[in-house]
Amino acid sequence: MLQAGCEFTELMREHRAMVFSVAYHFLHDRELAEEIAQDVFLSLHRNLAGLQSAAHAGFWLRKVAVQRAIDAARKRKRRPQVALDDVAEPVARAAVADPMLGETLRRLIATLAEAPRMAMILRYQEDLDPAEIADLMAIPVGTVKSHLQRSLALLREKLARRGVGEK
Amino acid sequence: MDWLEDELKQALGRKQPSPDFEARLIAAAGRRSVLRFPVLAMPRWLAAAAAVLVITGAGAGYRHHQGEAAKEQVMLAMRITGQKLNRIQMQMKGVRQ
Repeated sequence: MLQAGCEFTELMREHRAMVFSVAYHFLHDRELAEEIAQDVFLSLHRNLAGLQSAAHAGFWLRKVAVQRAIDAARKRKRRPQVALDDVAEPVARAAVADPMLGETLRRLIATLAEAPRMAMILRYQEDLDPAEIADLMAIPVGTVKSHLQRSLALLREKLARRGVGEK
Repeated sequence: MDWLEDELKQALGRKQPSPDFEARLIAAAGRRSVLRFPVLAMPRWLAAAAAVLVITGAGAGYRHHQGEAAKEQVMLAMRITGQKLNRIQMQMKGVRQ
């Protein structure tokens, strides 16, 4: 059983980037993502006694971050303030990480529907496999695989239209 | 994993919140009085000690008040008894004369 105090502070320092990034990539809103991260950690402290280990706390934090981000998106009652037409077109694809392409991808992902968007974030931010994503989102594995495949196909299509593709 | 998936991993890498995130979290927790950070432990300990002192002091004060009240009752009873004895003594003097 975990205890309040130092263990909480350690857990917060270890997982704050994960919690914040899930919310940030999902909502594309830094301020709201920080509010959600804060709320998630306050909730962690209240529930610390019920968590068995640091690993359990990490899993719990990811699950709560996913739920809170989805709830926040529903409260906003609209898609993130990014429309496909507003997404800047990258000039060309570089071999190494291209900051402009990276931002274009983040903005394209922000235009996806709720479930595929979260599935993509958990797959590529958290490096989770479809079964783990299905467990976190409480949806069938087949649905997760379908979301990932369709989202990748959509992104390829959008990027191809902008002249970005395989080398 | 193809180039797009590599790019997605780069684009969706974890990011840190603002540098003051931890301080703001501690402040928010303090407002809600739910966290027990070491920095907050001292004021809570002091508050608890102050509460114990107030309760102890109030108890002692109450006991002192009860003692004073009992003392006043005894004094009143003695004054009444003294007055009655005086009256009886006066009556006895009158009878002798």
